[in-house]
Amino acid sequence: MRDHERVEVLLAAQALGGLDPEDAELLARERAEHGPGCEECARLERGFALVAGNLSLALDPVPVREGLEDEVVARALGATRGTAVARPVRWRRLSMVAAAAILLVGGWVLRDLTLPERPTGPPPGFLAEAEIVRFEGEGAGTLAVAFRRTGPGAYLLGADLPAPEEGRRYELWLFRDGRPTSGGCFAPENGTVIVPLDAEVGTAELLAVTIEPASCPDAPTTDPILTADPTAI
Amino acid sequence: MDGTVPATTGSVEPGDLDLLRRIERRDEEAFRRLFRRHAPHAHALALRVVRQAFLAEEAVQDAFLALWRDAGSYDPGRGSVRTWLMGMVHNRAVDLVRREESQRRRVEEPRLVVLEDPGDRVVEELGSAEQGARVRAALANLPPEQRRVIELMYFGGLSQSRIAEHLSLPLGTVKSRTVLAMRRLRDDLVGMER
Repeated sequence: MRDHERVEVLLAAQALGGLDPEDAELLARERAEHGPGCEECARLERGFALVAGNLSLALDPVPVREGLEDEVVARALGATRGTAVARPVRWRRLSMVAAAAILLVGGWVLRDLTLPERPTGPPPGFLAEAEIVRFEGEGAGTLAVAFRRTGPGAYLLGADLPAPEEGRRYELWLFRDGRPTSGGCFAPENGTVIVPLDAEVGTAELLAVTIEPASCPDAPTTDPILTADPTAI
Repeated sequence: MDGTVPATTGSVEPGDLDLLRRIERRDEEAFRRLFRRHAPHAHALALRVVRQAFLAEEAVQDAFLALWRDAGSYDPGRGSVRTWLMGMVHNRAVDLVRREESQRRRVEEPRLVVLEDPGDRVVEELGSAEQGARVRAALANLPPEQRRVIELMYFGGLSQSRIAEHLSLPLGTVKSRTVLAMRRLRDDLVGMER
């Protein structure tokens, strides 16, 4: 009878999603040696998978956004019929440009405390469906925001933006009913900005950027240097 | 087992497996019912791992779309429909986290699942409440050092090498804690599948 201790150690981590790539290769080799019909391997894998699947029950359920069910169903039916959910062509093209820009830019840009905890590049599904609006105004560089029309989630994407003075930050404002709320402070790194926002940009009437103290005030203290109209798309 | 769940009105709510079989035949209503039943737990899991609302939503959407696309590949011998679905949600959420990790090594503390006294928790759904309490009790029953590894790996989305680095432990220690914890959880949670 084969010793399954090594396989068990690897399967336990695999079930939890914690297997490192080199261990994943090792597990594949071990499984190949044991053969596809190894009942003990299958038993161990099944047992750990059940544990992992049940761990999610330790969390209280969190309702999903209203409308998400319809969106998922629409995408599923669209996929079945071989037709993607329709998006304006020009935005798809811009999304591809943005994706390419992100690949070129690579690393991450700093965020301030008001921005979300886990900054990351836009997931593939996001950019494929995003609408993008470019900021206009004074100064060098370009800044745009990629967002979904419904629901939270957006990305600020900037290139060649000058660094603000020492102790200052750019601050994004979202106007609704004529009143600004802060979308967070940011600063470019080597001119580049890729910052995730957990804000509903699609419901804003106007976006604006000001230069503010690093304390990131709750209301603008200077005039906007950049503005964008997300309703104009 | 994916049996039927009796409803209070005397009608019978189709089980997950029934719904999945209908989804294989492209039954939209079955898909909607399965979504309503499991999306809140899927959302909670994704949110805990990725920690951003719209990324969590992305993981949930992707998992349900994969379920729609590949319903026929489900193997009842490997666990319940819920286990299968949650595995897909978790995989997608971890992928999102890992993608970020490869871009920017983070040093901040991953947010951990809060292990409260099961008696203090109120979950709306009775079945979920009982099962949730049992899982939380099983986690609480682990030695703290093992529980921490499980939390970082499953709910924090960290790989074993990242956990070793994070906790300043030898990788071998992390691996042994993982398997010891998983054995214990397996024993404590036996028979939970429905």
